[in-house]
Amino acid sequence: MKTITHILFFAVALVFIGCNEPPGEKFHLRESVGNDDLVDNVVTRPVGYAFSALIGEGIQVDQAVLRRTKGGVLELNVNGRNNSQFTKRFRYRVEWLDADGQLIQSKTSVWLPMSAMGKSTFSFKVIAPRAEAVDFRMDTRKWE
Amino acid sequence: MKTAIFLTITISVALLAGCQEPMNIDTMHDEGKPVMALDYRDFDHAASEMVQSMLGSGALRKADGTRYVMATGRITNDTMQRIDTDQLMAKIEQELLNSGQVVMTSAVGSKVDQTTYDIRRDIKDSDVEDEFDQNTLPGKGTLVSPHLSVSGKIFQRNIRYDRGHQQVEYYFQLRVSEIASGLVIWQNETLIGKRGSNRSVAW
Repeated sequence: MKTITHILFFAVALVFIGCNEPPGEKFHLRESVGNDDLVDNVVTRPVGYAFSALIGEGIQVDQAVLRRTKGGVLELNVNGRNNSQFTKRFRYRVEWLDADGQLIQSKTSVWLPMSAMGKSTFSFKVIAPRAEAVDFRMDTRKWE
Repeated sequence: MKTAIFLTITISVALLAGCQEPMNIDTMHDEGKPVMALDYRDFDHAASEMVQSMLGSGALRKADGTRYVMATGRITNDTMQRIDTDQLMAKIEQELLNSGQVVMTSAVGSKVDQTTYDIRRDIKDSDVEDEFDQNTLPGKGTLVSPHLSVSGKIFQRNIRYDRGHQQVEYYFQLRVSEIASGLVIWQNETLIGKRGSNRSVAW
């Protein structure tokens, strides 16, 4: 019975931790910076980290916005969120496609590094190499 | 028993020998460990960021839709490594040319194609001049002067991180200047930092 109570307590604490930082928050006071509270403190935090690793939380892309720059080329703005408690380092590569859906060969389509802190939003932008680019495809991989 | 030991040793040696075979790097999806010195991935990274910044800024877009003529100026290597700065600039020039916003010139700058001048000198007023269609010979005043020049430098800082580790910072700096006015119309810096054992050599 005691064990079940403990599990329930941790589960409730985790749910609160998960709800603690809604996406799009303007201010993010991290541990050792902001105040500890009932659901985010020195006791519950390690549980949150362990749970995050256990369920394999990671990066999610929320929005990909295409717009034309002053230079007349497309600019891709990627906005996303790191759901994990840990800093996620990854690489991304954007390839550009022309009106026929064919790949535009470019030296700019290389694996570029990106890093997002735990439970935070992140953004990056990529510029198309030619004016003919009308669409894109993006790939990610682990930062070796 | 002896035979079994002999066979095991033979197989192990054969396997180890197999591991030492050279192999080509998968340059598209290289998952190899980073190195303390600058490798091709660092140049790809720096060139990609530079080109994206340049094209995205709009600084290279002429209002009348024509293209700027750009000369490559001096790119200084101020690192401890023997780097041919063309490793960076060739990629950037290629992408700028392909972008349709800029034409590179080899008539002036640090990348002068001497053949341009040799042919003019060798043909003009020589015995073979008559052999050529005179309409195709380059006349005086046909070279196009550049509007823009690109120059920059790559430099390195080595910092002691702790007793056993060092931090190496590589800075790639480029700027585009308008030759007529001398004004800098675009500038960017890319930093590539590495941290590793003191035993790793960064030059």
